[in-house]
Amino acid sequence: MIDTIATVESNLELTPGYKLLTLNFKEAIAAKAGQFAMLKAHDTFEPLLRRALAIYRIENSNQLSFLYQVLGRGTQMLSHLDSGGKVDILLPLGNCWLDEPLQKTGLGSKALVVAGGIGSASVYLLCQELQRRQIETQIFFGAANRKVATGCGLDDFKKLALPITLTTDDGSLGERGFVTAPLEKFLREGKGENATIYTCGPWVMMKRVAEIAEGFAIKCLASLEAPMGCGFGVCVGCVVAIKDADAKSYQAYQRVCTDGSIFPAEIIRWEVTAMAH
Amino acid sequence: MSDNQSAIRISQSAIEASAIERLAVEIAGIKLKNPVMGASGTFGYGLEFAGLIDLNRLGGFSTKGLSARPLPGNIPTRIVETHGGMLNAIGLQNVGARAFVEEKLPLLRKYDTQVIANVFGYSDEDYLEAIQILNDGEGIAAYELNISCPNVKEGGIVIGSSPLAAAKLTEKARRAAQRPLIVKLSPNVTDIKELARAIVDAGADALSLINTLVGMAIDIHSRKPHLNFGTGGLSGPAIKPIAVRMVYEVASTVSVPLIGIGGIASAADALEFIIAGATAVQIGTANYYDPSVTMKTIDELADYCNQHSTTMQSLIGSVNRN
Repeated sequence: MIDTIATVESNLELTPGYKLLTLNFKEAIAAKAGQFAMLKAHDTFEPLLRRALAIYRIENSNQLSFLYQVLGRGTQMLSHLDSGGKVDILLPLGNCWLDEPLQKTGLGSKALVVAGGIGSASVYLLCQELQRRQIETQIFFGAANRKVATGCGLDDFKKLALPITLTTDDGSLGERGFVTAPLEKFLREGKGENATIYTCGPWVMMKRVAEIAEGFAIKCLASLEAPMGCGFGVCVGCVVAIKDADAKSYQAYQRVCTDGSIFPAEIIRWEVTAMAH
Repeated sequence: MSDNQSAIRISQSAIEASAIERLAVEIAGIKLKNPVMGASGTFGYGLEFAGLIDLNRLGGFSTKGLSARPLPGNIPTRIVETHGGMLNAIGLQNVGARAFVEEKLPLLRKYDTQVIANVFGYSDEDYLEAIQILNDGEGIAAYELNISCPNVKEGGIVIGSSPLAAAKLTEKARRAAQRPLIVKLSPNVTDIKELARAIVDAGADALSLINTLVGMAIDIHSRKPHLNFGTGGLSGPAIKPIAVRMVYEVASTVSVPLIGIGGIASAADALEFIIAGATAVQIGTANYYDPSVTMKTIDELADYCNQHSTTMQSLIGSVNRN
């Protein structure tokens, strides 16, 4: 974990409201697929807290990119940074898609990556790594519309040359509807044997993906998002409710930042934490 | 080594020794190498910071509130950012006093810093049970009685906002505690001086103030409170002027040492509290967005003392009235 000041290489608008921030680091950063960072514009105190962003791409050991949606004050402040701007950043944080103990039961021979909206930011590196390991991968990529899909890095995903199923809520690109529909169809056709589902996206989407996975008895890992104060386990603000834990025990809630952000979907009490989303 | 180098080395040691002397303070017999501490609830069990800062340089820290038994805490959402601060309703999720003694303390003993165990309960008996468990722990410098958490449905703030109830608990805790007893005051009272006086009369060795202020934020789209608990504790720079005022008022009321808390994010902030009457300070929310804020504050305090040829000790309560 490194707490440092990075310099903005570029901060490109992919589509209105969606940007790609590339940062240069003085030191080498050893980040892995699924990890995230806490960052904010340097020396600004409104807003106060850093924001959690998934590490989207590793350009090289001293350069990382973050894909983000401009939603509130924190991301607005980031969006105003130009080349040469400074960012306070703590990283790399959280666990990794393909590391133990998440993969203790072994990688499935097939990977189904389900990305919804800006959740794509957490799975691009995963897709790259799955490809490198020559694991058969099918991507399900859902967005509100064509523009949002572009903002969520669709062009990068296409360049991977992995099979990709597209959906948009308004039908402006790919199939009309939610990304969970083609996933379910895929599994119903019996194509999910020995597969692992990797998902990141809106809470309701991941909850549905988790239900589908459970229905087909397929292992599912989900990268969760929660309001975070610190990102390194101290504030205990970003917790999720865990199934099968004694409701009165310390383990009833786990921290998204240090116990995750990636969790086996079947251990999450989706309906409890859904209140938060 | 040449004579010159040796002379330089000696002179550097003299400067370092003098800097150490200038920053040292004492609270209820606990010697702090400097007045900078991590505040309870924002500093975990200290160990979370081990990879980010040098814990040995820290004056001390107060642990996350420890209860007799582990607590799960509140249903999320638990935090929301507000202007110049944040609201939290964590609900005192903690590993419990026994796990702290057995699992955390042995690791903490490797560091040369003062560990203050923050104690929480839902009833007087809960508090006393937690203290009894912690009495077994080796390496705890003092207890900090958390009678002012606004984020639990019972206990906490009910005790903390009543001088009578707070004094009653303080008296019992003082008898049970085998270590100095610091009581953390709630700002959610009409007259903090009355509360402070009652608690000191009941035997508190020191006071820490302030805990968070009860606040609320509402999502205008869903028209629901942002926090699942409804209300939360407001912390961060937004509360600093209130905290400084309360430290100033309490310092003129009681004679025990005070630990100032509330929106501290720099040496300048810390100095305000010390000049208002605090012997030491605890840094809270700033640790979240700047994990090395305690280290920077210590360095800046040393610079201040050097520049003004003064000591922390002589700055305590040195406020000049207008």
